[in-house]
Amino acid sequence: MKIKYLLDEEEIPKKWYNVAADMPTPLDPPLHPGTLKLMQPSDMEMIFPKALIRQEMSTDRWIDIPEEVREIYRLWRPTPLYRAAALERALKTPARIYYKYEGVSPAGSHKPNTAVPQAYYNMKEGVERLATETGAGQWGSALAMATCLFGLKCTVYMVRSSFDSKPYRKSAMRVWGAECLSSPSDKTNFGRKILAEMPDTPGSLGIAISEAVEDAASNDDTNYSLGSVLNHVLLHQTIEGQELKKQFELADDYPDIMFGCCGGGSNFPGMAFPFIPDKLKDRKDLRMVACEPAACPSLTQGLYAYDFGDTAGMTPVIKMYTLGHDFIPPSIHAGGLRYHGAAPLLSNLVHEGLIEATALLQTEVFQAATMFARSEGIIPAPESAHAIKPAIDEALRCRQTGEAKSIFISLSGHGHFDLSSYDAYNDGKLVDYEYPADLVRQSLARLPKP
Amino acid sequence: MKGTDGLACRAAALGAVPLAGERGKACLRLLSPEDIFFYAAAGEMGETALRECGLPHEIVWHPGKISSAEDTKSACRAFLERNVDLILFCGGDGTARDVAEASEGKPLLGIPAGVKMHSGVFAVSPQAAAKLATGFVRGEFKLRETEIADVDEDLYRSGELSTRLYCTALTPYQPVLVQERKRIYLSHSEENFKEEIALFASEFMRDGSAYILGAGTTTAKIAEVLGLEKTLLGVDVIKDGKLLARDATERELLAIVEREKQVKIIVSPIGAQGFILGRGSQQISSKVVERVGEENLIVISTPHKLAELSRLIVDTGDELMDRRIAGKRLVVTGYRSAQRKETAAAATINLSNEILPGL
Repeated sequence: MKIKYLLDEEEIPKKWYNVAADMPTPLDPPLHPGTLKLMQPSDMEMIFPKALIRQEMSTDRWIDIPEEVREIYRLWRPTPLYRAAALERALKTPARIYYKYEGVSPAGSHKPNTAVPQAYYNMKEGVERLATETGAGQWGSALAMATCLFGLKCTVYMVRSSFDSKPYRKSAMRVWGAECLSSPSDKTNFGRKILAEMPDTPGSLGIAISEAVEDAASNDDTNYSLGSVLNHVLLHQTIEGQELKKQFELADDYPDIMFGCCGGGSNFPGMAFPFIPDKLKDRKDLRMVACEPAACPSLTQGLYAYDFGDTAGMTPVIKMYTLGHDFIPPSIHAGGLRYHGAAPLLSNLVHEGLIEATALLQTEVFQAATMFARSEGIIPAPESAHAIKPAIDEALRCRQTGEAKSIFISLSGHGHFDLSSYDAYNDGKLVDYEYPADLVRQSLARLPKP
Repeated sequence: MKGTDGLACRAAALGAVPLAGERGKACLRLLSPEDIFFYAAAGEMGETALRECGLPHEIVWHPGKISSAEDTKSACRAFLERNVDLILFCGGDGTARDVAEASEGKPLLGIPAGVKMHSGVFAVSPQAAAKLATGFVRGEFKLRETEIADVDEDLYRSGELSTRLYCTALTPYQPVLVQERKRIYLSHSEENFKEEIALFASEFMRDGSAYILGAGTTTAKIAEVLGLEKTLLGVDVIKDGKLLARDATERELLAIVEREKQVKIIVSPIGAQGFILGRGSQQISSKVVERVGEENLIVISTPHKLAELSRLIVDTGDELMDRRIAGKRLVVTGYRSAQRKETAAAATINLSNEILPGL
């Protein structure tokens, strides 16, 4: 049985795919955080380069990838598609399981797919420094590497709980020349305010975003960069799904069901969006499932509404599935999935019923990750492992029904910086956090009217 | 012999091992004379052990020939006069009650040496007590409010097992999960979590239902946030932010359940074993739960307390109901956050071994 399906470097896509061109209902536009009126491109120029703003607003189906960006993609792309033959044997399933491994990138995840073009466009427009936030450290490392390759400076606000539990992510960022701060930090007004109110806070992505946006907005030479949620980020990630379609052709197969982990949304949409045109035409049975933590279940339990992207209310107000911008998710080990909302493009497609979502408890996720590591060898990032658990469940269902389904897992990164979390799992110390959705709904139902 | 409270004399006559001395020394040996100065009672009540461990001390109380509960209390009062920072004692729940009664809110720390240790003031071992005491005097550990509980010995002697809450006390604690790895997020103080839980509860309790609130400090915080005064050791009923019943009996609860359209129950684990029903809040009987419906049972707990429990236990006296409630239950642990916790029916575990070790 063939295990790896590899593409040649020349087959790295030359264009990104923009799902906005194919959506059954158009995206609700972002609103200005201050006026709640329609956001104008010029409103974003303070923190983003013009090229990225154009991509953010574009409804063109295809957008060219600059050759300088493709040159850097060559360092690790195309990424391999694997047939998980050993996992299939371990599960005794008639199903065919595949996974595409983005952990081969220098930063260890899919995040450089957008970090590289973002650094590139900022460099082209004369920006000297990028400020960003990072949850688990995957995004911060990716942007640190990308800025370093284009000669920019980089400041990373890292969510405090991850800053303390993953010291080697900081070390990697330092090697790439970036400054990594624990968020909330004393470098920004918002960080100082939070520190004064909640000195013991574990921090959150929402807080870190507010800090990075404030940094960018108050320094002329500095722009802001975001690793998920925004349209242009999802756009850049579609190189994953485009490669994947070619690789499935090599395997002479096509997925029946696809799983990918989902926090704010970047890896999952990147993998799934290029399949949306198929789903709308002749592959109506294709199921695409976004896998989120039960502790922070925006897609499965959130409201589909306009909300801020950050805690301080400084980012544009966007229509998305949200648990509320003031919600600080508990400190699960999949730090990269601790975000209160989900990307507007993804939220729209979930709302339309084209994409499904499921929520998982962290103990079952680590259990599945361990099974994966013991058959396939790769130790998955806890985030990525959210896609493995439901894929294993599906394969076990196939064992019962005898169906030979084609199951796909998006393996977005490795877990080499998450080994203390694996230790906690193996020591029986993991806590199963869960969002009390019914009680929250009950609490919101009769809020006092102003 | 079942417990020794009030029977010290008889216990001595029967030649029960004076365990407290050895357990106490196991803790004292680990304390540094530079950190702590001791005020103590004479002889076996403290002096002997302190002298053997080479710790500086001054005797402030001389007990009678055979020390009694009154001696414990008198010694505590003498400590208060010296304005001590922490009362370190050795014993079980009975001693904890005596010390708590006389210590007027001073922080307490128990070196576990009794047969029953349901109260939250006890460290898990004498060595842990030493660590806590040292951390506290060095200002590294904070204080938390905890419950002083005890088995009702009269009932126990007649074959019935029942825990009661007596009062609350302050005690130093080291957030348990911090020990695992350097994850500071759980060093968040336990009081903050109680406030978060109470704030969340005050929001979801606006749904027009009557809420039966079980005993304990976590549930009491909800009433506090609502601006109500709750009976700490009893069961109260709150509806639309108003107190419907105070210190209600089972009969009163049943009457309220009969009268109100929708009733829900909020309980918190009691004692070191994690009882959510049946101990501490016996008024919330199986009949009450039956009529309210187990789907309307809401469990709340600080993450700290939950981390110390391997699982929760439900013991309504109705085994079938216990089994229905058992399983992985949702426990509210903060503002809009919760955990799944294993919950066992009392009948499925060997309680007498766990609750009264050594009896």
